[in-house]
Amino acid sequence: MNDFWIITTASLVALNTAILGSFLIMRKMAMIGDAISHAVLPGIVIAYFISNSRASFPILVGAAVSGLVVTALIQFFSKKVKLQNDASIGISYTFLFAIGIILISAFGTNVDLDQECVLYGEIAYVPIDLIYWGNQSIGPRQFWILFSTAIIIVTAVIIGFRKLVLTTFDESFAAALGINIVFWQYYLMASVSLTTVVSFESVGAVLVIAFISGPPATAFLITRSFKQMIMYAIGFGISASILGYYTAVWLNGSIAGAMAAVIGLQFALVFSIVKFRQRSRIQDIPVSGA
Amino acid sequence: MEAQDSSIETHDLTVIYNKKPAIWNIDFLLPKGKIIGIMGPNGSGKSTLLKAIMGITEPNIGYSKIFNKPLDEVRDRVSYVPQRQSVDWDFPASVYDVVAMGRFAKLGLLKRLTEEDKHIIKDSLEKVKMAPFANRQISQLSGGQQQRVFLARAIAQRADLYLMDEPFVGVDASTEEAIINLLKSLRDEGKTLVVVHHDLHTAQHYFEWLVMMNTRLVASGPAEEVFNEQVLTDTYGGTLTTLSKVANLLQEKSFPMRHK
Repeated sequence: MNDFWIITTASLVALNTAILGSFLIMRKMAMIGDAISHAVLPGIVIAYFISNSRASFPILVGAAVSGLVVTALIQFFSKKVKLQNDASIGISYTFLFAIGIILISAFGTNVDLDQECVLYGEIAYVPIDLIYWGNQSIGPRQFWILFSTAIIIVTAVIIGFRKLVLTTFDESFAAALGINIVFWQYYLMASVSLTTVVSFESVGAVLVIAFISGPPATAFLITRSFKQMIMYAIGFGISASILGYYTAVWLNGSIAGAMAAVIGLQFALVFSIVKFRQRSRIQDIPVSGA
Repeated sequence: MEAQDSSIETHDLTVIYNKKPAIWNIDFLLPKGKIIGIMGPNGSGKSTLLKAIMGITEPNIGYSKIFNKPLDEVRDRVSYVPQRQSVDWDFPASVYDVVAMGRFAKLGLLKRLTEEDKHIIKDSLEKVKMAPFANRQISQLSGGQQQRVFLARAIAQRADLYLMDEPFVGVDASTEEAIINLLKSLRDEGKTLVVVHHDLHTAQHYFEWLVMMNTRLVASGPAEEVFNEQVLTDTYGGTLTTLSKVANLLQEKSFPMRHK
């Protein structure tokens, strides 16, 4: 049963991140997931001090708020200050992450709050933290949190799909149609923020980034349409969760690490197949007049 | 020409990027039902002018009207064709998908394309002779084909006014001819076409009305009146105008900041 919950939890993370990651990599903003997942630290710490507990809800709110703060900062630096996008992302999240570190080291020496855990998570603990309906366990807390998030994300993306695709592909055309570019940017970023925040607790910030950028990038290599790209990305993400889990069991190693490694191998494999096919196709073309 | 007969009216339109005016005090009335060229050297603010008219870039001063109304009231009668290079052509989409975007404004969030929409998309593809490529990936198109796709998307909007940013850049001769024929046939249907262009040799043949600009407006009028040596010198003249000299000085003295 533990296998089932760990794989299902990871697959839910894969589902959410594959959908949003596809938009992010086409917007050349894949590293925004990296930014948000680090920038949530000060929010978590402050929420912890205020609520004086490690209960999920205040922590989630704190994390979500700092996720939106970093998104707004990035938006401000790149649109108003006209700084390059990557530089805007880099300066914003390292600043917020640093504040989080200072807060922990200055005020929280005895605090049961571990930045290692924020970064790497521990998906193996997912099945331990159960929630109960009466006396009956209905599954891990993380599963239900991610399941609700998946419903929110899928609904949000279906409703906004057309506008999100249009603003991703051709921003100025979208603006000329009267579509509010900034609104849809935040719509997407709020979704990314939510996904990152609820995912990092179980799988860790680093695996979230692997899931956001890896499967969509692999899907991009072989896709013909954007919808198909999302479907392939979901497929790659979920299969990486399954393969990664059993690889970790086999090696008796880190589950999150194995999943991220499988994501990397998937990309390498698909990339090699695509390149190999291209080369053999070029050789097939007869040289005219030779 | 009275304002109510104009396709586009701008008044004191000014856009400032980084302390330097990209366009300055642009004031003109453009007629309806003509092929209109906007010309000027590189960096003279031609694209910025289109973006300011379309509300993509917020003007710092001034305003513009379209068909004597604010843009928001007539948005569905206007089509904007961005520069081809402004999008990532590796985006996973087919030719058909991109042209279908021309119908998005008229659909809500979730409504599907109607039979009429589909007919319009097909018809637009035929007008630019791209119908056989409907299912082709946009990443596999040549520059000229990409431009035709953008034009098909604009035609699919069924607008009355078309603003096109450099549609002739980097296209082959046959595409160039196809585009100009298309512009003429749209004009014959009574549409107004405003085209940013930079090739002086073809300007006289292509356009009935010309707007010559170099940050400021130099001239706006019927092509045969405007296209003379004096105007050309004023627009393209080798030395910088006083205004741009001042702007350059201002910029040099301020904190150096890189443009995106």
